[in-house]
Parts: sequence; C-alpha cells; structure tokens
Amino acid sequence: MKTVVSGLIAGAVALGAGPAAGADPSQEAAASPGEAEVAFDDATVLAIRAGRVLVRPGVSVEGAVVLVRDGVIEAVGSELEVPEGARVIEGAVCCAGFIDPWSALGLDASVLGDQSTDAATRTADGLDPYGVDHLLAEALAAGVTSVRLQGGQAAAVGGLGAVVRLDPQLSATEALVNDEADIAMAVGLSVDGGMQLVQLPDGSYSMISGARAVDPFDRLSQVERVVSKIEEGRSYLEAQVEYRHELEAWELGIAEKLKESEKDFKKAKKARDKKVAEAEEEGEEYKEKKYKEDKKPKKPKFDAEKEALSLIADGVVPLVVEVHRTAEIRNLLAMTARFNRLRLVIAGGSEALHAAEQLAERKVPVIVWPSLRGTERFDEFDGAGLELAGELAGRGGSVLLGSGGRDGSVTRDLPLLAALTVSHGFGREAAFEALTLGAATTFDLAHRLGSVEAGKDADLLVLDGDPLDTTARVRHVICGGREVVHQED
Amino acid sequence: MLETLTVIATLAAGGDRVDLDAPLVGERTTVFRADEVHLGDGRVLDGGVVFVQDGVIREVGVGLEPPTGAHVVEHDGALTPGLVALHGFEGGGEELLDSTRPFLPGADAATAFNPDHPDFTRSLDCGITAVVLSPPASILCPGTTAVVKTAGAVVVSRRAQLVLGLSTSALKADEFPTSYAGALAALDERFSEPKGAFRSALDGELPLLVKISTRSQIQRALGFLTRHRLRGALYGSYWAEEVVDEIKASAFSVICTPSDPGDDGRWARSIAALSAAGVRLGFGLDAPGRHPHCLRFGAAVAVREGMDPGAALTALTGDAAAIAGVGGRLGRVERGLDADLVLWSGEPMDLASEISAVYVDGKRVRGGER
Repeated sequence: MKTVVSGLIAGAVALGAGPAAGADPSQEAAASPGEAEVAFDDATVLAIRAGRVLVRPGVSVEGAVVLVRDGVIEAVGSELEVPEGARVIEGAVCCAGFIDPWSALGLDASVLGDQSTDAATRTADGLDPYGVDHLLAEALAAGVTSVRLQGGQAAAVGGLGAVVRLDPQLSATEALVNDEADIAMAVGLSVDGGMQLVQLPDGSYSMISGARAVDPFDRLSQVERVVSKIEEGRSYLEAQVEYRHELEAWELGIAEKLKESEKDFKKAKKARDKKVAEAEEEGEEYKEKKYKEDKKPKKPKFDAEKEALSLIADGVVPLVVEVHRTAEIRNLLAMTARFNRLRLVIAGGSEALHAAEQLAERKVPVIVWPSLRGTERFDEFDGAGLELAGELAGRGGSVLLGSGGRDGSVTRDLPLLAALTVSHGFGREAAFEALTLGAATTFDLAHRLGSVEAGKDADLLVLDGDPLDTTARVRHVICGGREVVHQED
Repeated sequence: MLETLTVIATLAAGGDRVDLDAPLVGERTTVFRADEVHLGDGRVLDGGVVFVQDGVIREVGVGLEPPTGAHVVEHDGALTPGLVALHGFEGGGEELLDSTRPFLPGADAATAFNPDHPDFTRSLDCGITAVVLSPPASILCPGTTAVVKTAGAVVVSRRAQLVLGLSTSALKADEFPTSYAGALAALDERFSEPKGAFRSALDGELPLLVKISTRSQIQRALGFLTRHRLRGALYGSYWAEEVVDEIKASAFSVICTPSDPGDDGRWARSIAALSAAGVRLGFGLDAPGRHPHCLRFGAAVAVREGMDPGAALTALTGDAAAIAGVGGRLGRVERGLDADLVLWSGEPMDLASEISAVYVDGKRVRGGER
C-alpha cells in the first residue's frame, strides 16, 4: 500500500545539504506563477501537474505545472510546457512540504535529555537519524519533509538548534538544512521528580518518571538567567566590535607613521648619520631616539558560548524560549524589551493568551504544541489545548504549530493535530502557513523552504485534496527533489 | 442471533416509547436538513431530511415535506449519528476495579460511576453521545459493561457485554489462575456447565468483550471462543495485522485500542488491514486517560493509513452501537432510533471539520439553534 521510493530519479540526486544554498533570495520575485521561459534539453526534470498548486499561503494557481531540476524548483506556472522525457507526477493539489518547527525526530535520545548543554552546544552534532528509518518514512508519508530539532530539551540553555530534512537516504550531514537555526532556552519547566509507581485504569501498575514543578522564585530567577545570557552575548559582541574599531584605528595610526617615516626617510637618515658622526667625534655613545609606539589593542578572549550568545543578541538567529506561565512570559517580554535586535520566539506558551497583546505587539511568534491528553496528565504543561492556536491568532499573534520536541514519533501526527486546531478556531490558511512558510520564515529559511516558488528547494507534496483535510491522502512526497513517498490505494 | 436481538431491542426502545405510526405533530417536530446525512451504516443521503419527534427519529429521506409548524434546522454541512466510544472508564475510575477474585460476572459497570464526572461533558464536546463503561479486564471475568449516554449520564443498557480478560494482565503471580492455560481451563469449566451470565453468553443473548493483546493471545482466545461458539468482540487491535484472516474467520468484531499522537505505525496498519478484510470494527477510548478527541483522531490515523473514511465513520457509529448490543437504539440515523445527532461543518472524518451542534434525544446539548 505504501512504498518509500528507494531508487533515485535520474539527475535529481539527493543533494541534501544544500541544493539551493546559493539561490539568491531576491529571485523569489521572479517566481510569480504563470511566467517562465526555460529551455529544457534533458531528462533530468521532474514535472508535477496539479489541479491546483498552492504557491504560498493565500496564493494558488489552478491547473499548473511545477518543474523541478537538480533538487530545485525551476519554474511554476499554468502555461508551462512539460519538457519531453521529464518524469511526470499528476495529482489534485501540490503544495510545499510541511515543516515541524519543534520536533525530536532523528535526535539522539541522550542529546535530547542532556542537562549540561550550553549555548554553543550544537544539536547538529547530536543527530542520529539512522535507527529511526521507519519513523522518518512515516513522517514523510504524512507530509512532513523537514523539522527543527533541539538538543537539551529540558536544560536551561539547550544550544544551537538545527533544521534537517527527513529523507532517510541522506546522511546526518547531508540532511542538515541549517545547523545554526536558533538558540533555545527554557524557563519554569518541571524537573524530574524521580520514578513513581502509578496504577493505570486497567488495574496494572507502571513505573513512570515523575514531574516536579519548580517554585515561583526559581522560575523568576530563570527569566533573569535568560536575560543575563542575552546580556553576556551583547557584551561579548560589543567587546568584539570595540576591538575591531580599536584595531582599525591602531592599524591606521601605524600605517600613517610608516608613511611619514618613509617620506622623510632620506632626510632622517642624513640627520641620524650626522648625529652618529658628531657623537663619534666627541667620543660619546650615540643614543637612538626612542619612538613611543601605540600599544596594539588586545583581542578579547575567545569564548565559544558567548560567541554563540552574541548571535541572539545581534539577531542573527532567533532565541527560542520554552515558557508556559503568564507571569514568566510577561516578565520575559518586559525584561528583554531593551534588546532591540533580539528575535524572540516562544515555544509552548500554554498560558500565552494572557500576554497575547504584548506578544502580538512585539511580533513574537509562539510555537503551539497542540495535544490530546486526558484529564489525568503528568505535567500540566505537557502540550497545549486545541484552542490555543486559534485564540492567539485571533488576538493578532503569530502562531506556529509544533509536535513538542520530546517524542520524535509525534512529528508524523502534526498535520492531524493541525487539522484539529482548525476545528477549534485556527484559520485553515493560518494553519497551512504555520506548517510551511511561517516556520521557514521564523528560522530564516524562507529563501529555500515553505512555498512552491522558483529557486526554492523542491520539498513538495502531491495530495488528493486540501493539505489540512485529513480525509485527503498524501500521494507523492518530494524531498530535496527526490520522490521519497508514493502511496497508492 | 445478534440480528434477532437487534429487532427485539428496536421494539423495546423506539416501539415502547413512541408509536412510530402516529401522525407527526408539527409543533413537536424538529426537521433537520443537511447537505449530507450519514446514516451510520456507510450510506449517505445528499440533501437528506430527518424528522425528530419526542426524542426519536421518525422519518429519514430526501425531499420530505416538513409537517406544518415544525421547527426546521437547516444545516450547511454533514449530519451524522452521535459517536459511540466502546471502551472506557468514564466517571468510574477505581470504582470499577476489583481484582480480589478471578470471577465477578455479576459486577455491573452501571452501578459504579459518577454521573457528574467531567468526562461525560468533555466527551459530548467531541460529538460522543454514548460511551461503553467497562470494568477493567485485570481479572478473568470482571463483570459486564454498561452503555451510557454522555448527556445526563443516562444508562441506555446495562449488562451490555460480558467482559473476559484473556491478556496476561488478567493473570496473577500469587492467585489462581497464574498461567494462561490455567485461565482457559477455568473458563472452560464455566462455559461447560454454564450459569447466569455465562449461560446468556452461550445462548447468544450477551455478547462478549474479550480483552487480548499479543498475537498469540488473539490466536489462543479465538481458539477458545470458537470452540464454545461464542460471539462478541475482541478488545485490542494493535497486534492484529498478522492475524487478520483468523479474526475474520472467527466472525468476532474488533474494538480498536485507542491511539495517542505518536503511537507506533503498526497501530494504524492493523486497523486498516482489519477494515480492508471486512472485520466489523469499533473504537475504544479509555478516558479519562485519554482526551475524548482521541476517538476520532484514531479513526483519522487509520484513514491516513488507507481506511475508507466512510468505513471509519461506520466504526464510530452504527457498528460501534451494534458491537455494544444497542444497534436498535443508537448509532444510526433511522426511523425508530434515538435522535442522537451531530452536525459537522464539513466531512465528519476530516479533523478540520467543526462540530456545529450536538443533539441528544432530539434536544440540543451543544452549539446550534434550539
């Protein structure tokens, strides 16, 4: 019933790490549907002919063709001719592959649970997608083509997150789309309370690890810790910038002196020779004139963690903070307001509704983890209700949807959970954007992922119907230009 | 046998309460008109009309003229029977649990639940209008199930199914029986000289709900059950993928174990395979451990795996009610059955479809108008 295509499509070989790494983001404008004049002369092209192509959220073309070459979308349009010899895939709807911006799929379990990570810890170093081929295949078949992974999930500072493709044929390195997608931190998460014996409804007993909430003062100090980390990054950055300026000034000064001395070299030599001769005549020792040289500025000491933290202080990568309670969210917003380059992202945000206006005003996206838990749940913040996404969006907030970053197998079910948020007040278009361009934009990958436009990586789905209609089946999945899933009835 | 029972139940339910042939009184009638009326048995009426009076469905069809004075509910979307969750502990909790003896056939789940428990309200929010409360199969025979409406916690049927625990969790380390063979021997004894509930089960009056888990448990249980010509449903679908043919041949129905997001892919593959083989299916929920939305979520996961959406809806409605022995009263949109209806904004098996309204016994309990 389901096959994960293992053969390679001629030419469209798994280029993995960056088929479009050099793609110019400014080319995006040329991707407007309907226009493209490209000459094709070989059989390395994949053509998707779809009843409707969802080019990007809010923009679709009826009866269009998507041409893919070398892992990259070459053209999209209704007037395009399918080149001779191209492999043709037909379907009702074609859209960008889904992105799970908060996943654990393909991450080594020990890296996920590592409590000793710091800002410079690279999640990319903890990838282990080899033992979970079946999970990768299931997630792909459900339409998820890439994920953001985060090591040190429960650690105070989780380190640098990574965005990877799920194609099981790619090595861990090839699968990397962005190895410095963000830096993650956590505030107020429950800590491990040890093993507890719990009786299940069917009468059997089970040992499960218990959650223990941290007290309110601890939680507030954790907000301060986040702020001090950003501050460390900023100071480091300032010291670096200052050093560069000083060094520049120093080098300039030296250069000027050199130039000066070169210009007057002959005159100075003559004067010196004369003085040496005079000294000899008088039987005295010649004393060289001493020049006081400006001290060379000292390079600030290299610090890997601070170097990483400077990325968030400078807004090079976003800072993702998993935080749930209203008080901590408000404090975090208030205390980080002065960092004008900081790009804050909230993960979880179970009680974010009470800070919805501030979040919207600051344009802080919230990655909501919609979950289905019974009344008996272990940690009250283990996943949010189905209404949260719609409620936040209703107050003008920017909302992404993620699978919670704890259990890799949930990524496969993210599209179904997203559909459930649609039935609980989240707009269909908003949910689609959250799973595609919204996630790509938040993690600086909008030039490569999240929409069906020329120049972007070919991560594409071909479905029976609307991507969020759970009765519509995913028929083909293209990941990095390679067809990785083909499902028939 | 079950069909005969169904007919009797129909008479007892609809027939007793209302005269289905009496003329409709407009003022007491609510007429539902929907883009699609899903009957609960796989059939769909485009532009269907449903007449409800005194809590009972009186007419179902296309192009029926509403009686004068009837209240008409026009719905831009789908109408389905209320969903039936087949296995759970809603409002029961530990009240249902007694593991002191291996046999408690007289224990009645209807006597052991809190009708005000929030589980019922939560289920209703998710379109579930009836749940089957079950004593946990932690012993060989923990008792009988009860079918309860989530609105008002009204018991529709008590002693609905006789529960047998044929998974290893029914075996104790220090109490008879300690082995699977011992358990089957003990049950053999009960069914060889049957009394009470065991007699009713043998006579086909009381369907069984048999909790199993692994493949070998399925095979051994089916061997035992077919030897005694027993009927009913297996509870436990996870390992069914490789033993679909044996289950099909046994004529036993299967109640699917509930699914959480992230559950192993085998879970959905087994259900899709059972459905493809034509095994009658229903879904368990096991609230309060699970969110009531897990019921339809699980069905949607099976649909993603290839199960027909229509078959999935039948498993959540008509077939579920039939498995619980209340097919003559619940689970379908049909003349004489209880008017437990759900209005959806779109396809009922599309998780993006909203629940617009829920009606139980013809009365609106969620959303909608009147």
